[in-house]
Amino acid sequence: MNSLLQRSSRNFLWQHPWQLVLAILGIALGVAVVIAIDLALESSLNSFNQASKVYTGAATHRIIASDGGLNEKLYTQLRVKGVSHLSPLVTGYVKLAQADKDSFKVVGIDPFIEKSFQSGWQNGQKENVSPDLFTRLMTEPNTALLSEKTAQSLHIQLNGQLSLVTSRGQQSLTIIGFLPHTDAVSEQVLAKLIITDIATAQEVLDLFGKLSSIEIQLTNDAPKFEAAIRSMLPGNALLVSLDSQEHSLREMTKAFSINLKALGLLSLLVGMFLIYNTMTFLVMQRRHLIGSLRLLGVTRQQIFTLILSEAFLLALIGTLIGIVLGVLLGQGLLQLISGTINAIYFRIDTTALVITPFQLGKGMLLGMSVTFFAILLPAFEATRLSPVKVMARSQLESGSRRLIKVVGFSSGFLIIGGLAVAFFSGKSINLGLASIFLILFGFGLLTPMLTLCLMKLIECVFGRFLGVLGRLPVRMVSAEISRTGIAIAALMIAVSATIGMDLMIGSFRQTVAQWLHSSLPADLYVSLPGDKMGSDKFLFDQQLKDKIAQLEGVQMVSTALQTKLIAAGELTKTTVFELATKSKQSFIFKHSMDDSLWDRLENQPTLIVTEPYAYHHALQIGQKIDLKTNQGAQGFEVIGINADYSGDQGHLIMSRQIYQRYWPNLGYTGIGVYARAEADVQQLESRISQLLTTQQAVKSNQTIYKASMELFEQTFTITEALRWLSAAIAFVGVFSALMALQFERIRQLGILRSIGITSSQLSVLIISETGLMGLMAGLLAIPVGFIVAYVLIFVVYQRSFGWTMAFYFDAGTLFQGIVLAFIAALLAGVFPALKMAQTHPAEALRTE
Amino acid sequence: MDKPSAITIKQLHKSYQESAQQQVIFNGVEMQVSRGEFIVLLGRSGSGKSTFLNLISGIDPPDSGKIIINGIDISALSERDRTLFRRHHIGIVFQAYNLIPTLTVAENLLLPLELIKRLTRKDRDNVAELLDKLKLSGRLNSYPDRLSGGEQQRVAIARALIHDPDVILADEPTGNLDLDTAGQVLELLDILIKKAGKTMIMATHSQEVIGQADRVFSIRNQSLHLE
Ligand SMILES: Nc1ncnc2c1ncn2[C@@H]1O[C@H](COP(=O)(O)OP(=O)(O)OP(=O)(O)O)[C@@H](O)[C@H]1O
Ligand SMILES: [Mg+2]
Repeated sequence: MNSLLQRSSRNFLWQHPWQLVLAILGIALGVAVVIAIDLALESSLNSFNQASKVYTGAATHRIIASDGGLNEKLYTQLRVKGVSHLSPLVTGYVKLAQADKDSFKVVGIDPFIEKSFQSGWQNGQKENVSPDLFTRLMTEPNTALLSEKTAQSLHIQLNGQLSLVTSRGQQSLTIIGFLPHTDAVSEQVLAKLIITDIATAQEVLDLFGKLSSIEIQLTNDAPKFEAAIRSMLPGNALLVSLDSQEHSLREMTKAFSINLKALGLLSLLVGMFLIYNTMTFLVMQRRHLIGSLRLLGVTRQQIFTLILSEAFLLALIGTLIGIVLGVLLGQGLLQLISGTINAIYFRIDTTALVITPFQLGKGMLLGMSVTFFAILLPAFEATRLSPVKVMARSQLESGSRRLIKVVGFSSGFLIIGGLAVAFFSGKSINLGLASIFLILFGFGLLTPMLTLCLMKLIECVFGRFLGVLGRLPVRMVSAEISRTGIAIAALMIAVSATIGMDLMIGSFRQTVAQWLHSSLPADLYVSLPGDKMGSDKFLFDQQLKDKIAQLEGVQMVSTALQTKLIAAGELTKTTVFELATKSKQSFIFKHSMDDSLWDRLENQPTLIVTEPYAYHHALQIGQKIDLKTNQGAQGFEVIGINADYSGDQGHLIMSRQIYQRYWPNLGYTGIGVYARAEADVQQLESRISQLLTTQQAVKSNQTIYKASMELFEQTFTITEALRWLSAAIAFVGVFSALMALQFERIRQLGILRSIGITSSQLSVLIISETGLMGLMAGLLAIPVGFIVAYVLIFVVYQRSFGWTMAFYFDAGTLFQGIVLAFIAALLAGVFPALKMAQTHPAEALRTE
Repeated sequence: MDKPSAITIKQLHKSYQESAQQQVIFNGVEMQVSRGEFIVLLGRSGSGKSTFLNLISGIDPPDSGKIIINGIDISALSERDRTLFRRHHIGIVFQAYNLIPTLTVAENLLLPLELIKRLTRKDRDNVAELLDKLKLSGRLNSYPDRLSGGEQQRVAIARALIHDPDVILADEPTGNLDLDTAGQVLELLDILIKKAGKTMIMATHSQEVIGQADRVFSIRNQSLHLE
């Protein structure tokens, strides 16, 4: 019996391959996006750890230093004091002499560090490499190891030469061996890595006498050793555990990750409508079959199980395909995501997509549960079908109308609840995003009811002009509201999310543009990279500044040094300014201030913090921040909070005069040049550029403005991409609903044809109906998009990044939203319309 | 034949392709129907009654042969032209589900009119009047699913006539109705069609109708036989 039951339903499914494919596609796409984001994000974040396994292996702690680096003597001191299991590192980035190659990371190591570190590159060396490799690395100057693949792609043989560009010109390294990849360290991670001994790295990177970090392996007595080590560290050095370092990286990118994942969930939400639509279609189309089965004595329970097991199969197939698609998509997103992390958070050298069973399992669970949630209602509906009398579609519709009213009114609670969650959930980003989902879902549920109202309105207003035929599309939208409503809701959700994000990005863009304008007061900016640890850098920088200041046409100069200080046990970005009178106007304070602020900044241990920093650390004016100096901890009072959109972690701002009381002179990273009113800025620019070395550059404020805005746009590429994905899923949803719709009313269309409606009239009829649906979705999406934008700007982004921005209203965005919905619906309607127009009327009349 | 011919069918062939197999429904049917004549079609289920009506209405094209209505060979017309021809000259009643569920009774009746001309006040009055005759005056703005089966069929008949077609085709119009209701519907057909001098072909099993028919044909062995 049971198997017969299943067969009868399966046969039916096979007769509707379209719906089947679309349902599976809906599940698959939703799952794919979620998995892709998860994989790409985790891989990007993990690559940071992965890479360090190559040269530090099992280290548990690390001594890091802010700019200025670690003196290599510290290493010997630690050893003398009995701290063992140490591994010194010198790291930095170089460019290859070959044109357009990315930078490579140079890692200088001690080849004879303890075996217990189990560093990746050592473990892999077995019989294929001669045992004296370490000795050669150590004793022969300018020798290095490179991954075999990279060597091949650069056409370097064993013992061949690798040419690098250093701050002192070109330098060659002899490749004496290849880095093997192991289970723990993938090929890609090694791709951009050059391993040398300490001395070679110091030479290549111009870091004589310095170390970048010291890796430590602490075992049993960790706390005791930690305290001992801490007591020996200079002011700019910090002992951190690798766990906590990883944790803080994750904290740093937390907001970014959550927002991305929310975008993935949006796709799944839209996909859910698709699944729901298909399952109701499959149930409704089989109401005769189910009715007959019930008559034969099949119980409700059995019908329910039947539908559920069908859904299980669909979900399983869809989810499996989704996982495969997700891995592929993840590969594509990887570059985008790691690129964004690179641009705004920290440097990711190389990334490879790492797939863990846990992540796949998570995606699987999500896909399956979302499907089950979506089919619960249609499954219950199926059990309700009366065995005696098969209900006509219109009867079912009147049933669903009641449902629509109930759902519509209760959706009000979802929306109000969502708004309440948005504004009364403290600092939680998750709850902020959850509120958006509640609001979107609430409006989605409200959509059918609003559609009914609007269709009534259209009829009242335009009915007279439309004629009977013209009224038909309007009627069809409301008559089959259980189908059309779903399609409109899915489209509305996708479009309002788009409008919301567009308004938010637009507002953000405006805010950033304004901020950039005011924060680039100088005419020209000289950037001075080159390693800040270089011992005599500050002398050259000082000379350069003086030369520039003396140039004709220069009114004044300001300087900036971007460095890191240890604030509250964390390396914290700090900008040290030597402000010209004009540069002071570039600050946009978040509070009222008077001119004494500048005086205090110059003469007392005080700080300005940026808005995000203040937000993340819950700081207020008057509070103190402890900074680590060579003379011990020193409290700095916060005297100002200023707007800054250059990073979401925020930073500290300090005057140079105060800085130099506590920390060594590291020169500058930038010089701002203010030209005299009558000076020719372009000429000045070329004159300055003659004073510069190849690694230094001078740029006009316009150029920097443009580059910054480009970076801004770049950080939203991924958002754009994901948004389009959810729009695509919504499109598939509308398409599937329309296909189902036409299929269900095929008899009715046959009657119309028999009355004398031509096939082209029929197409116009169907297209008008879908256009109307698109319009409805677009119209609804405007207020909803508006609310979404509002919550994004004032709740989610503020909590995520600590930024406040102004809401800029853009009518163009709203208009685009309507057009998008309209066109999407029209496009989705074209195929069903053509198919119906081509359906033979005699065939159409034979059904039902 | 003294009366002018309304429908002339010559050498009509029709078959359906059922997977690999070809099923011949009509093989060289010949027929002449005079203007105002009432023809009844009989035949076993599956014999091809519906197919025959679909061929005359131009819903289905023949494989070969001629179907001449009012002097126009519709088998030579394109699908679009057949549709336009049907719109003007033919009214159809099916066994059930004739009405557009999303249009009210009045709108269902107005639709065929709207397809051929601009609606006027008078058209609306006519519709109201017609519904009065059908004893459905109160149901003007009801949707079809609120009507009983017999009421629906009465509206369907009214719709088939509203645009004053030359030929009415009825495919078992009483097949879904009980005896009493069927009687009412047939009476209506009689009043409206016979009196107006319309040509009608009806597929039916109903004995009463057979009595009223001018001629009765049955479909056997892929052709028409006069009873
Ligand atoms: N589109 C089609 N494709 C294949 N076969 C068809 C098609 N339309 C009709 N047939 C076949 O043609 C034959 C005649 O069908 P038709 O519907 O005309 O019969 P009928 O006399 O109206 O029967 P009933 O009294 O049951 O309505 C049937 O065997 C049917 O299976
Ligand atoms: Mg039939």
